[in-house]
Amino acid sequence: MDEEPERAKRWEGGYERTWEVLKEDESGSLKATVEEILYQSKRKRVIESHGQVRLGMMRHVYVVIDCSRSMEDQDLKPNRLTSTLKLMEVFVDEYFDQNPISQVGIITTKNKRAEKLTDLAGNPKKHITALKKAVDTVCVGEPSLYNSLNLAIQTLKHMPGHTSREILIILSSLTTCDPANIYELIKTLKSLKVRVSVIGLSAEVRVCTVLTRETGGSYHVILDESHFKELLMIHIKPPPASSSSECSLIRMGFPQHTIASVTDQDAKPSFSMSHLDSSSGPGLSLGGYLCPQCHATYTELPVECKVCGLTLVSAPHLARSFHHLFPLQAFVESPVENLQGDRFCQACQAELKDKSMFSCPSCHSVFCVECDLFIHESLHCCPCCIYCQTVP
Amino acid sequence: MSLMPNNAPCTPVSAQFTLSKCMDAVMVMGNAHMAMARTNKLAVIASHCQGSHFLYPSKSWSGEDGGGNDVSSSGDGKYELLSAANNLIVEEIRNIMSKIEVTGNSTDTLLAGSLAKALCYIHRLTKELEVGQEIKSRILVVKAAEDCALQYMNFMNVIFAAQKQNILIDACVLDSDSGLLQQACDITGGLYMKIPQKVALAQYLLWVFLPDSEQRSQLVLPPPAHVDYRAACFCHRNLIEIGYVCSVCLSIFCNFSPICTTCETAFKIQLPQIVKPKKKKLKQPM
Repeated sequence: MDEEPERAKRWEGGYERTWEVLKEDESGSLKATVEEILYQSKRKRVIESHGQVRLGMMRHVYVVIDCSRSMEDQDLKPNRLTSTLKLMEVFVDEYFDQNPISQVGIITTKNKRAEKLTDLAGNPKKHITALKKAVDTVCVGEPSLYNSLNLAIQTLKHMPGHTSREILIILSSLTTCDPANIYELIKTLKSLKVRVSVIGLSAEVRVCTVLTRETGGSYHVILDESHFKELLMIHIKPPPASSSSECSLIRMGFPQHTIASVTDQDAKPSFSMSHLDSSSGPGLSLGGYLCPQCHATYTELPVECKVCGLTLVSAPHLARSFHHLFPLQAFVESPVENLQGDRFCQACQAELKDKSMFSCPSCHSVFCVECDLFIHESLHCCPCCIYCQTVP
Repeated sequence: MSLMPNNAPCTPVSAQFTLSKCMDAVMVMGNAHMAMARTNKLAVIASHCQGSHFLYPSKSWSGEDGGGNDVSSSGDGKYELLSAANNLIVEEIRNIMSKIEVTGNSTDTLLAGSLAKALCYIHRLTKELEVGQEIKSRILVVKAAEDCALQYMNFMNVIFAAQKQNILIDACVLDSDSGLLQQACDITGGLYMKIPQKVALAQYLLWVFLPDSEQRSQLVLPPPAHVDYRAACFCHRNLIEIGYVCSVCLSIFCNFSPICTTCETAFKIQLPQIVKPKKKKLKQPM
């Protein structure tokens, strides 16, 4: 294989004296150090944005969950499988919140085989019900990386070129049982432009390192449950698009929501097309979203019309992704002493008690630490900049 | 529980209905809310064309030190908190109206900034609570001015942030319908209402907007408005039902064009496949 960067492993490094981080002050209390550590961890959360990089906004992600015997290990409470499935539910919710026009599918692997738990779909409810039911599966046998990747490729290779194709593998076992040469499969993945990332639950496995390096994904091994959650959340942000992905104009429909009441003369009850597959039985409803091309009724968006194939979305769905494309600049940190006059945070009107304050580079208004975090994580817009900004 | 009237007075609407009457109605509503339960909290933000300003609680007043020189204690036995609040609001509004000058004909107000400040304030209050206590918040917007089209993206960001924090946004519109506020109320689960008779503003505020979300399920309230979720195309600003979306920057166009005007990417055009005629094998001459 090609040469790999030699990284020093953790056991090869020097002896870490972790107790030296904690320092007592004159009265013997650790309060100042603890606050400092908390403050640093808060600041770490505001990650640098990519800047002017093209992002893959429409994503097709397959998540492969290992259901082999090693998932019954109890190092994550109550056992690895339950903990993983619970975090996956959180992942699915957050994923559709940040990427409303993308799709997710789930594959499980055990007993040297792989099978699809749910197909690629844009509706979170289906995935969450399937994940809830999967808690009862028996973990047996060995996983098969080859079979699960193969199964994912069968669907992903038919996806249009402008979408980003990703596979996220959660692998807990240290072994894999493959029917053919996995390095050939890695070459196929590379040619199909599929990006594979792995989250390991046990330890670093060389074949995963090669797999992720060749396809351009990331490989991490968890330390504990909160680290597991953090690693999953990293995959929610849209990744930078590969240079070879095509850009095209996608035809989409924006249906109107019609609410008709029984007293209207023209109102006729109709079946919703989205209930054709579900087992709960068709329900008659008055109104819903009508596809602008073929007038089929749907109860929820976003959805792909089963009759005419048009993707149906609503404008807020696209608006949810805008903050990825126009990210908010990081605020400039400076000590509070520099501020003359009243020391108040301009967003929440609280007095500035911390030792540093944050100011927006464009409008120079001052914010406290909490508001800075809140603005960058949830709001994505500066409350005071709005007066001077012209926005598309 | 905290409630925030977010007031947008930029132009007085008609001779009968002026800003002071509107503020009276809002203060009645605020007093009623604070009188409902001792733990209810209130904040009032004024939003005008050049900025937004917290009317209550204001920075120059700290409510805890009741003490000595409390000039605002009225002799008519009113609950002190309410009278203090009213006086403060009136004073701050007077300050604002004297400070800003209305330049030009801009009748639109910058609502997204005020909503963002309100969200930061609620976030701070939630963080300051003891462990195990909960605070349920909602935002009420009383609006007379028109929408500002430049604010669409910031407005949507603020709405999604409010939805994530489970904060309802209610809207009480005096003059013209506002599409942005209709979307905000629909997405966050609040109530949108355009008042038919502006003189009775206090009545509408007390009847519709005073109860909180749990009590609303037991009342018969005005039906939800029909929200138009169609997107506007970037080239003509028309509302379209079927459009073309650029996969890189998500801008919406009504017609196919080879280059996206926002991000300037060239698009691939699917050409029809040219089928080559099969060459017939010539029979070898014997």
